[in-house]
Amino acid sequence: MDANNLNVIVGEGTCGIAAGSKEVIEAFQKYAPEINIKSVGCVGMCHQEVIAEINDNNGNRYIYGQVTKKTVPQIIKFHKGEGEPLDENLIYSPEKQDSHKWQYLGHQTRIALRNVGNLDPTSISDYEKRDGYKAIKKIVAEMTPDQVIEEIRISGIRGRGGAGFPTHVKWDFARKSEGDVKYLICNGDEGDPGAFMDRSLLEGDPHNVIEGMLIAAYAIGATKGYAYVRAEYPLAVKNFGKAIEDAHALGVLGENIQGSGFSFDIKIKEGAGAFVCGEETALIASIEGDRGMPRCKPPFPAVKGLFGKPTIINNVETLANLPWIINNGGKAYAAYGTEDSKGTKVFALAGAIKKGGLVEVPMGTKIRDVLEDIGGGSSSGKPFKAVQLGGPSGGCIPESLFDTTIEYASINATGAIMGSGGMIVMDGSTCMVDLAKYFLSFTQLESCGKCTFCRIGTLRMRELLTKICDGEAEMSDLDTLDELAEQITKSSLCGLGQTAPNPVVTTLRYFRGEYEAHIKDKSCPAAVCKSLITHTIVPADCTGCSLCEIQCPVGAITGEKKVKGSYAIIQAKCINCGMCFEVCNSKAIQVK
Amino acid sequence: MSQALEAKVEPETVLEWIKRIGSDSSSTVPLLQAVQSEYGYLPRAAMDLIVKNSDITGRQVYGVATFYSQFRLKPVGRHIIKICHGTACHVSGADRLNTSLRHLLNIDDEEQDTAENGSYTIEQVACIGCCSQAPVMVISDEVSGNLTGANAQRALKKHAKKSEEVVANL
Repeated sequence: MDANNLNVIVGEGTCGIAAGSKEVIEAFQKYAPEINIKSVGCVGMCHQEVIAEINDNNGNRYIYGQVTKKTVPQIIKFHKGEGEPLDENLIYSPEKQDSHKWQYLGHQTRIALRNVGNLDPTSISDYEKRDGYKAIKKIVAEMTPDQVIEEIRISGIRGRGGAGFPTHVKWDFARKSEGDVKYLICNGDEGDPGAFMDRSLLEGDPHNVIEGMLIAAYAIGATKGYAYVRAEYPLAVKNFGKAIEDAHALGVLGENIQGSGFSFDIKIKEGAGAFVCGEETALIASIEGDRGMPRCKPPFPAVKGLFGKPTIINNVETLANLPWIINNGGKAYAAYGTEDSKGTKVFALAGAIKKGGLVEVPMGTKIRDVLEDIGGGSSSGKPFKAVQLGGPSGGCIPESLFDTTIEYASINATGAIMGSGGMIVMDGSTCMVDLAKYFLSFTQLESCGKCTFCRIGTLRMRELLTKICDGEAEMSDLDTLDELAEQITKSSLCGLGQTAPNPVVTTLRYFRGEYEAHIKDKSCPAAVCKSLITHTIVPADCTGCSLCEIQCPVGAITGEKKVKGSYAIIQAKCINCGMCFEVCNSKAIQVK
Repeated sequence: MSQALEAKVEPETVLEWIKRIGSDSSSTVPLLQAVQSEYGYLPRAAMDLIVKNSDITGRQVYGVATFYSQFRLKPVGRHIIKICHGTACHVSGADRLNTSLRHLLNIDDEEQDTAENGSYTIEQVACIGCCSQAPVMVISDEVSGNLTGANAQRALKKHAKKSEEVVANL
């Protein structure tokens, strides 16, 4: 086989880069300089990164997972007609189309993510080949703004950023609002820790988001747009910026698009690191150059938003669905999902799961099916304990409720929220009290300080949770937590404060036993909370390798090198950081 | 912290940014971002220049600079290590990366985040969206994932060697 005709496609989203895609590309260039190499966004199979796809001259696709610079020579050899195929890394090939690894994508329904990982995000012609900019050309030529809004109404899509407000209703408000200028903002301030679908879309399929913005702008009559992207996503800013330039050159963005008289332009605004800016009015304040503090509603942004003009803010994932809806019809979209929730939703699966990554499924799918069929079950082999849905605003759903279907109403009934779609899976090694403390610390730090209960109430809750984790709390503190949770929810202006207590409320509801163990028995069942655990070395298992002594940051381990069983931990010095446990090759460190 | 880290602000550079980015109040964030990407933090002199030469008030500059977590008011090391503290990283041991790297850089004082020799600054950052590779860190602009305390140290040593930095406990 002639290597000249081989094409290699390497996933270079941030996660691909984190797993070492640069080294893999260098290896391909070194061992086969004649091969064409193309970078694509992240296909969402993060657990298989680095992913490399080889297209040979017969049009066959071979997809390899967990590629390293060491496996590259064997892959090249095989495709040059020598050597053995690298079977254990092969995810997909003409002969192997039903591998369990491939099932990860096979079980999904990809609408928003339809292009991610399948095209070069820096190539506008790649996007055009996949029906790109067909929808915007169609609507400016054939549809009135009202017809576009009607099509979106039929699709039943609701805002994917968290609150789930029907998109067409919001648009209709803005359409009917008076204003010489109207704004359309793409909300890419994906601040929920644990959610990365917006990053993946902005990095991996930026034109799709631009086209979504164009459709929304046309529907509401906006001429100016902003893409608010988190500063933590440098690759997204870069790819999206290039996409804006290319769209201008193609004549689908800018003045008088396709000769229709419709003009629209987009500016990128980089966020500066404030979770609260995911809230619409805070985001507006931030673009205007102020501290990102929420404002009172009404007036709603659709009536009086950015610079006092009617403004619509749509989430990245919502926008990414729009071109598909216009091309295939609102009815086709509404065919997916349930009565309450139409279409598909993207989830970011991470934590104690075998196959983590991005997952897009029809609404109405059971949580368990996502975790088992797509996620492949628990990564540690220990049973699942809970899944945290919706980030700091969401809640923990225990394993006993995993048959809950993914719909706005049924998820809300558990006390969690759909949110932006972060799904962190946990097994027995996660302490639920520590997790609640983590989220409360996050919201407390991110509270803008405007509302007293959010500013001080979250701090009081954090202090109480710290007390519990340190084994210094009393049972009555749990009642105080409940009381504070209710007050913060009731007396906060924006979503941050209103939902901040959710992680505590749900863990208290489903895992009260763990809280009681910390308070009554002064013990942490998951062996996480540092004040309640001790590290000891089991002499019988110690090989005397001295690794633990070298790694201990506080000099709390002493012993004699090469003398078995000689090492011991000086408890008075130990800070329970867990470094020794991590480096010990003979599992001699016990945590209790 | 050593004086060597304090940046020297060239007024022409700041005026150039104001010209290019804008002098109205909505330019506050991008202007401060330009300042920080040049100096690594927001030197007082640069903020004063912005207030003097634009429509942006001192209240606004200081208000924005202290509101957003991206902005720093103190000088930083020559390289920045960002340790992700997203949910997935938290439950898979982000704390240990912090402990082990601080140990390697000999940063004992809890109040400090920069190594004595001005080489590296350790920052705790919000989720960088690589949750499936947790725990994750970024040194300069290089992202690495699936870390343990020990191989985070290895990655830092490798970076230090490449950029000719001396790491205290090497």
